[in-house]
Amino acid sequence: MNDLILPQGKKANRLKTSSMNNKMVNDYWTDVFNAKAEGKLVCWYEGVAINPLMQAADIRWVHGEAWSALLAARNNEQPAQTAAEHRGYMKELCSYARTHIGCGVLAQNRGVEASGSSFSDALGAGLLGERIPAPDMFISAYPYCSTGQQWDEMLFRLFGKKIPIFNISVPWVWGNKPDAMYLGGSEFNEAKQYMVKQIRACTDWIAQQTGKKYNWDKLSEIMSYTKTAGRLRVEAMELCKAKPAPASFFDWTTSLAPVNFIPGGPAIVDYFEKTKAEIVQRIADNEGGIPQEKYRLFWDGIMNWNKIGWLANKFAAYDANMVAGRYTHMGFWHEFESIDVENPLEGMAVNYLVCPINLSAPLMIEQIIKLCKHYEIEGVVLHAARTCRAFSNPQFLIADAVQKRLGLPVAMIEGDMVDESFYKDEIVNSRVEAMLESIEARKRVGIAA
Amino acid sequence: MSIESILGTLEWTAENSLAAASQWKQASGRRIVGSFPMHFPGEMAHAAGCTPVILQESHEPITVGHGMIYPFYCGFTRSIVDQACKGDYDFLDAIMFGDHCVQVLGAADVVRAKLPNTRVHFYQLISSMSDPWSLGRARETFLNLKEGLEEMIGHSIDDEAMRASIRLFNRNRQMLRKLYEMRRAGDARLTARQMQILVKSSMIMDKAEHNRLLEELLAEFDKTRATAQRGVRVYLSGHFCQAPKTGVLDMIEECGGIVVDDDLYHGQRFISTDVDDSIDPLDALAKWYLERNLKVPCPTRVDQNADWENYLLDAMERSRADGMIVLMAKFCEPHMYYYPEIKEAFEKRGVPHLLIETEHELNSFEALRTRVETFLEVVKRQTAARRIAA
Amino acid sequence: MKSYVMGIDFGSTTTKTVILDLKGKMVASCVASKGSISAEGVQVSMDGAFAQAGIAQKDIARTVSTGYGRRMIDVADQSYTEITCHARGAIAMFPEARLVIDIGGQDSKVIAVSGDGLVQQFAMNDRCAAGTGKFLEALARAVQVPVEAMGALAMSSTEKLTVSNMCATFAETEVISLLAEGKSKPDVLGAVHAAIASRTAGLVARVGNRNPIVMTGGVAKNHAAVHYIEQALSAKMLIAPDPQIAGALGAALFALDEVAKPSAAMMDEEDGADEAMSSARGCATQPCKTAAKLPANERPLLGPM
Repeated sequence: MNDLILPQGKKANRLKTSSMNNKMVNDYWTDVFNAKAEGKLVCWYEGVAINPLMQAADIRWVHGEAWSALLAARNNEQPAQTAAEHRGYMKELCSYARTHIGCGVLAQNRGVEASGSSFSDALGAGLLGERIPAPDMFISAYPYCSTGQQWDEMLFRLFGKKIPIFNISVPWVWGNKPDAMYLGGSEFNEAKQYMVKQIRACTDWIAQQTGKKYNWDKLSEIMSYTKTAGRLRVEAMELCKAKPAPASFFDWTTSLAPVNFIPGGPAIVDYFEKTKAEIVQRIADNEGGIPQEKYRLFWDGIMNWNKIGWLANKFAAYDANMVAGRYTHMGFWHEFESIDVENPLEGMAVNYLVCPINLSAPLMIEQIIKLCKHYEIEGVVLHAARTCRAFSNPQFLIADAVQKRLGLPVAMIEGDMVDESFYKDEIVNSRVEAMLESIEARKRVGIAA
Repeated sequence: MSIESILGTLEWTAENSLAAASQWKQASGRRIVGSFPMHFPGEMAHAAGCTPVILQESHEPITVGHGMIYPFYCGFTRSIVDQACKGDYDFLDAIMFGDHCVQVLGAADVVRAKLPNTRVHFYQLISSMSDPWSLGRARETFLNLKEGLEEMIGHSIDDEAMRASIRLFNRNRQMLRKLYEMRRAGDARLTARQMQILVKSSMIMDKAEHNRLLEELLAEFDKTRATAQRGVRVYLSGHFCQAPKTGVLDMIEECGGIVVDDDLYHGQRFISTDVDDSIDPLDALAKWYLERNLKVPCPTRVDQNADWENYLLDAMERSRADGMIVLMAKFCEPHMYYYPEIKEAFEKRGVPHLLIETEHELNSFEALRTRVETFLEVVKRQTAARRIAA
Repeated sequence: MKSYVMGIDFGSTTTKTVILDLKGKMVASCVASKGSISAEGVQVSMDGAFAQAGIAQKDIARTVSTGYGRRMIDVADQSYTEITCHARGAIAMFPEARLVIDIGGQDSKVIAVSGDGLVQQFAMNDRCAAGTGKFLEALARAVQVPVEAMGALAMSSTEKLTVSNMCATFAETEVISLLAEGKSKPDVLGAVHAAIASRTAGLVARVGNRNPIVMTGGVAKNHAAVHYIEQALSAKMLIAPDPQIAGALGAALFALDEVAKPSAAMMDEEDGADEAMSSARGCATQPCKTAAKLPANERPLLGPM
C-alpha cells in the first residue's frame, strides 16, 4: 500500500482561532494563581462543568482534569506524578487523579499557603504542579466514574479532612424501564429532578462558605453566555460535515477550555463566533483541517494530552481527517437548547447527565451512530486510555455496533490521558494503517460495484 | 454430620457456585437472581420467592471475554464478562446490581448486551454516605429495586415476608459472626480457606439450608476443644468483590501465619451488619446500608464518619494480630486510592503490613511466597524484639 | 572434619555459592551462570567453590539456601528467602548501611535494614520485568551491544532522551524507533538506564529512603546503572567488589549461626519467639498499655476509682 507511506512535512492545518484559546487559558490560570492575593476562595473540583455555580459566587476554581491536562500539555506533569507515586499511589490509577493528587502532596510538602509565584514563572520553572493554590473547599460532582468521586474524597483526606466538601451524586443513565430514551423517559426525568435538588443544596452550601446570599441573577447571566457559546460551538462543529471538513477533532479538543472551565462571559462567546466565522470562511475557500482529506474518521475515547499535536499531525500525514469524536461532540454544553437562562438548574442537570461517559452503552451507541452518519465517517479510532475505564468501558460494544450497523472498520489504540508511558506508538501505526487499508479496499469494491 | 463433612458440602457449593445454583433451581423451582457483590439485599429477593446468588469470579481462564473487555481491569470484572460471554449466566432469571464501581459498570453493559433475554436491573445506591439525603436516597433506591423484583414476579412483596426473610438472613450472619468470634478467641480452629468457604457458600446456598448446616457446625465446635496454635497472627484486608484464591490463603498459613481475622468481602465485610426486623423493611435496609459502612468501612464509599485505616488498626488490636496482609486485586481503583492512607497510618503506628497484588491469572506464586515468608519472619522478629525491649 | 558452612543463592539466571570457615572467614565464592533455574548451574557453582577452598561436600557442616530455587536444593539443611539473606549479606559487607537495593536478573528489591542486619521493610518489583536485569538485557539486545558493554556506552551519552515505557517489550520498540530516528547508541542506552533508575526510585519510595545505601546484585556491576540510580536518589551508594554474592554470603552467615547453636537450641529459640510474641500481643491490648505508662513502683488500681 504505497500511498500510505507517510509524506513528510504534512501537518494538521490548525484553526487560527486556537491561539486565542491559549491566551484565554493562560489568563484564566493567572487569575487562579492570584486568587489568594486577591482574597478569593478557591474550590477544587473534577468532572462536569459546575464552574458557573462557583463563578456566580465569586469563587475561583481548579478543575482537576483541566489542570492535569494542562500540566501534561506543557510538560510540567512529572514532579506531581512522582510525588503521588512516592506516597504510594500506583500507576494503574487514573492518571488525571494521580497528577492532581500529586499536586496536593506537593502543596502539602511546602505548606498550604498562597501559591507564591506567578503562573508564568512557575510554568517556566517546571513547578506549576506544586504552585497551584491550595483549596478552600471541594465540590464533587462526578458522572458515571466512581473513581472521580473517590478522587475528591482522597484529596479531602489528604488535606487532613479539614476543608469543607460537598458531594453531588450524579446518577448513571442506565434505563431499566421500556420508556428509557435519550433525554427522556421516567428514569431520566427522576434523575434530572434529583440532580436539581442537589445542585440547589450545593448553592446553599456555597452561600454558607462565602457568607453571602447566592447570586442567582449572576448565574443566569453566566449561563446565557454559556448557552450561546455552546450553541455556536455545536453549529461550528456541525458545519464540518463539509468535505473537506474545515476543522478536526483535534481542533475541537483544543477548544474545550471555553466550554469547560473558562469563566462564562463575552470572551467565550466571542471565541466561538470567531471560530465559527473561520470555519465558514474555510468552507468558502474549500480549505480542510488537514492538507489533503482522503479519509474521514471518528475518535472514540478521551484525549491523549501528551500527544495531542503529535496525533493531529500523524493523522494529517495519513490524509485522514478526524472529523468528530465522542469526547468533543457528546458533551460540553452540547445540549444547550435545554438551558432555560432564567431558571438554569434543570438545563445544567441535563447537560451533566448526558456528558460523554454517563450514558449506558445502548443510548450512547445511538448517539455515536448518529454522528457517524452526519459526518459521513469511514472509520472509527478507539483510544483505550489505560487509566480511564470510564471512557474505555463501552468501547468493545461501540466497535461492534459501528462495524455491524454501519460497516465501518475500527482501530483500537492504546494510550492514556496524561501518562505518557502508556502510549504505544507502534501499535497506533500498525492498527491505524490496517484500518486505512481496509477503508481503501472497501472503496475499491464500492467503485467496482 | 462431622465438621469435615459439613465443610465438604459447603466447599462444593462455594467452588461450584453456578452449578449449585442451577441444581437448586431445578430442585426448588425458584427463580434465581444473580447479583454483583457489595450491597445486594438478598433478603428482598428471598421475600420475592427467589433465591439470591452473588456472582463469583470463576477459576476458569479468561478467553472469549477478552473480546469484550480490556486486560487492564480487575480479575473479577473480566471474569464476569467472560462468564456472560460463555453463556454461563443463561440460566439466571435476572441480574441485579446497585454498586457503581466504574469497572463493574463496564461489565454491566456487556452483560446486558450478551443476555438480551435476561432482566438486568440497576438500582444505583448513593455512594456518598454522610449527606443529609443519603438515608432517604438509599430508601428510594431500595424501593426501585423492590419494584423491579415485583415487576418480575408479577405481584407485590409483602412486608411480613420481608421481615421473615430479614430474620432468616440475620440468623445466618449471626452464626457466621459467632464462628469468627470463636476463631479469634482460639475456640474454633478454622483456617482462612475454611472461613472463606463458610461465607462464600452463604452467598450461594438457600439460606435456610445454610443455617441448618451452620447450626450443626456450631454444635460440633461446642463439643470439641481447640488446641492453641503457634505462629504469627495475621489480619487479612482487602478484596471487596472477589474471593481471594484459596491457594494464597493456604500459602500464608503454610508459611507460618495464622489468619485470625479479616475485613474481606468473603469474610467480615459480608456478615458485619444485621437488618432491623422491627421497622419498615425499606427503612431498615436503608439504615443497614449506611450502618454497614461504619461497621466495616469500604473505600468504594465516601463517608466522612468512617476511616478505614483507623478501623483496621483497631480491628488488629481487637483480634490481637501481629501483622496485616493487604490483598489488593490488581487494577482495583478504590483500593489503590485508599492504600496510601493505610500505609501512612500503619507506618506511623509501627504496625507491620505487607501489600500483595493478586490477579486472576496467578503466575508469580513463588514470588508471593517469598514476600510472605519474609514478612512473617520480620513480624516474628520485630514482635519478639518489642517484647525484649519492654 | 566438618569445619565449613555453605550458602547457596539459586537465582533465576545465576547460582552463587559462598563457603565460610567456622570463624566466619570467606574461603571461597563462585558465580555460575547456567540459564534459568538449572540444577547443573548449582553443581557448577558448588564445585567451583569447593575447588577454590580445596575442600569437598563432606567438609560442610551446614548449608543454607536462598533464591528462587531455594527449595530445590537437596544439600541444603535450611532455606531462607533472598530478601532475608541479601539484607544479612549486604550488612556483613557494609555494617553501616541501612538500605539495600538489590537488582538481579528476574527481580529487584529494596530492603530497609536495622543495624543487626534484620529486615525492617521491603518492596519488590511486580512480576513484570520493569526495573530488573532482564529489562537491561532485552534492551541491550535491541541496541545490539553485549550486555557487559552497555553500561560503559551509556556513560558516554551526551543527549538526554526518554524511554517512557516500563514494559520491556514496548521499551524495546521505543528504543528501536529512537535508533531509527538517528539517535546514538550511547544516548539511547543512557535513557534505558534512566528508566531503570526511575523504577528503582519508585521502589525506594515505597520503603522510605534512608542512608547509607548499599547496592547488590548483578546490575550493581553496571556503572551506568549505579550512576543513574544515584542521580535519581540524589545519594551515593556503597558497592561491594563482588555485589552478586551478597545473598549467598547472607545464607552462609545464617548457616554459621545455626552451627554455633545446635538445632535443639534453635527449636527452643523458636519457642521463645512464639512465647515472646504472645506476651507482646498481651502488651498491645488496651489495659496493659495503660499499665505500662505507670511509674515502676506504682500498682495499677483495679476496679472503680
